[in-house]
Amino acid sequence: MEIINGFLDGIVGLYQSSGFVKLSWENYVMVGVSFILLYLAIAKEYEPLILLPLAFGMLLVNLYPSIMGAPNTEFILMDEFKKTHDVESQSVQYATTVLNGQTYYNVPTYGGLLYYLYQGVKMGIYPPLIFLGIGAMTDFGPLIANPKSFILGAAAQIGIFITFFGAIFLGFTKAQAGSIGIIGGADGPTAIFVTSKLAPDLLGPIAVAAYSYMALVPIIQPPIMKALTSKKERAIKMEQLRPVSKLEKIIFPVIVIVLVALLLPDAAPLVGMLMLGNLMKESGVVDRIAKTAQNELMNIVTIFLGVTVGATATGTVFLQLNTLKIIALGLLAFCIGTACGVLFGKLMCILTKGKVNPLIGSAGVSAVPMAARVSQKVGQQENPSNFLLMHAMGPNVAGVIGSAVAAGVLLSVIPH
Amino acid sequence: MDISTIVAASLSLGEKFSISITTLLTGFVVVFAVLILLIVIISIYGKICYSAQNASKKKKEKIEQSQKQETPAPAKTAPAPSSVSGISDEIVAVIAAAVDSTYGVGNAKIKSIKKSPSVGRPVWGQAGVLDNTRPF
Repeated sequence: MEIINGFLDGIVGLYQSSGFVKLSWENYVMVGVSFILLYLAIAKEYEPLILLPLAFGMLLVNLYPSIMGAPNTEFILMDEFKKTHDVESQSVQYATTVLNGQTYYNVPTYGGLLYYLYQGVKMGIYPPLIFLGIGAMTDFGPLIANPKSFILGAAAQIGIFITFFGAIFLGFTKAQAGSIGIIGGADGPTAIFVTSKLAPDLLGPIAVAAYSYMALVPIIQPPIMKALTSKKERAIKMEQLRPVSKLEKIIFPVIVIVLVALLLPDAAPLVGMLMLGNLMKESGVVDRIAKTAQNELMNIVTIFLGVTVGATATGTVFLQLNTLKIIALGLLAFCIGTACGVLFGKLMCILTKGKVNPLIGSAGVSAVPMAARVSQKVGQQENPSNFLLMHAMGPNVAGVIGSAVAAGVLLSVIPH
Repeated sequence: MDISTIVAASLSLGEKFSISITTLLTGFVVVFAVLILLIVIISIYGKICYSAQNASKKKKEKIEQSQKQETPAPAKTAPAPSSVSGISDEIVAVIAAAVDSTYGVGNAKIKSIKKSPSVGRPVWGQAGVLDNTRPF
């Protein structure tokens, strides 16, 4: 009889600690959302490198919320604790607290796996490391050859600040509005960096929105680009860029970081790491670490960043009206950014008497290199012999610097 | 609705407007100012680098020309690079281009191209091994 009772107790205990009892309906909805994201990552290959770990993090945390649980300290009566633990032989010494004449052990309980990995996001460590890898992979040559591209990189950031406007009127705080606006930069790491500092409570929805829109660049941008340009403008062929020497490429990151760090110290972690990675690549003297930055380190950080950002999207946090607002505002920011880039491209086209194809303006949003590829593709639809890719890479990499500068502006003007 | 949202909702329309316009204006002006400053600086140093390189190129060309003028023209045309049969003109052009890009145009002359007997590891394999072991 005792055996059967023990067996039944065991089964009941297992059931009570299982997800079937502990999880709420919101968790199940989020499990469904994570399945959709996994499908998009695997079957549609939408930014799979980030979307797959992100979706899986979302799945994990909604099935087992304790995986993101913070460490805690339990107060356990000394006598009770001694009954179940051989305290004398343990090498660990617990601190004690005396309350109402009774002594308690302060027993620490450890946090979940993803809680510790998440500290890299929370403390703003992963996004600059990702920028290090991006810098080590980026060729700033097209931007150095045609520095006017910086204008397009700046124009595409206007969406960030216009969306800030919209977010404030939809009832968000200044800090939240800044984090929502930065989605318009179409730069996942920058969005996470800003949000982790300004509005950590919105990290899940903002990261998911930022990466979703980055993945949807080929779908969102072309209609805006076509609506704002004429057939003739789209068919413009641009002059070949001048060759850029190694010396210029080496000096570039040094100049950029000196200038940006002096003017906007808040942007220094992002731009600094971007430029360090680029200097490692261009100098050619630290090939080993440049390769590590662009491969192993970048991949490791991407896994940690993806899984932990996904793990912030728990059902109770994500399934709110605010999330829908954030997703709508993020899309607005992204569309305005694209439109402003194209409009400034048109302006440059007029000022240079038709030497600039306005399509390269949309690449000013910093989704590298996807936005540049979209410019190339839309340009080739009008004129199959037109190659805009290298011209679009200029505004594209300028957009990375531009969004980091915009992040610096937001961090410096918004108290946090 | 969390506390911060309530705080935002409690702002008057005028306050919301002034916050938004201030941020919009600051962001717009600062982002453009920083990037325009970068345009100016990069344009200047780009021009300096470009002209310096052009000047050194022209100098080199001048020296080469003067050397050509100083040395009397050979009576006979230089013998064509001796090549083992089986090396096509295209391969010779590729090797010449590679030599030029490594040593600089005009700094090296190809006198002969010979096929090395392939012993042991293939050349690409050897390049891979070199690439991985060079740092050590």
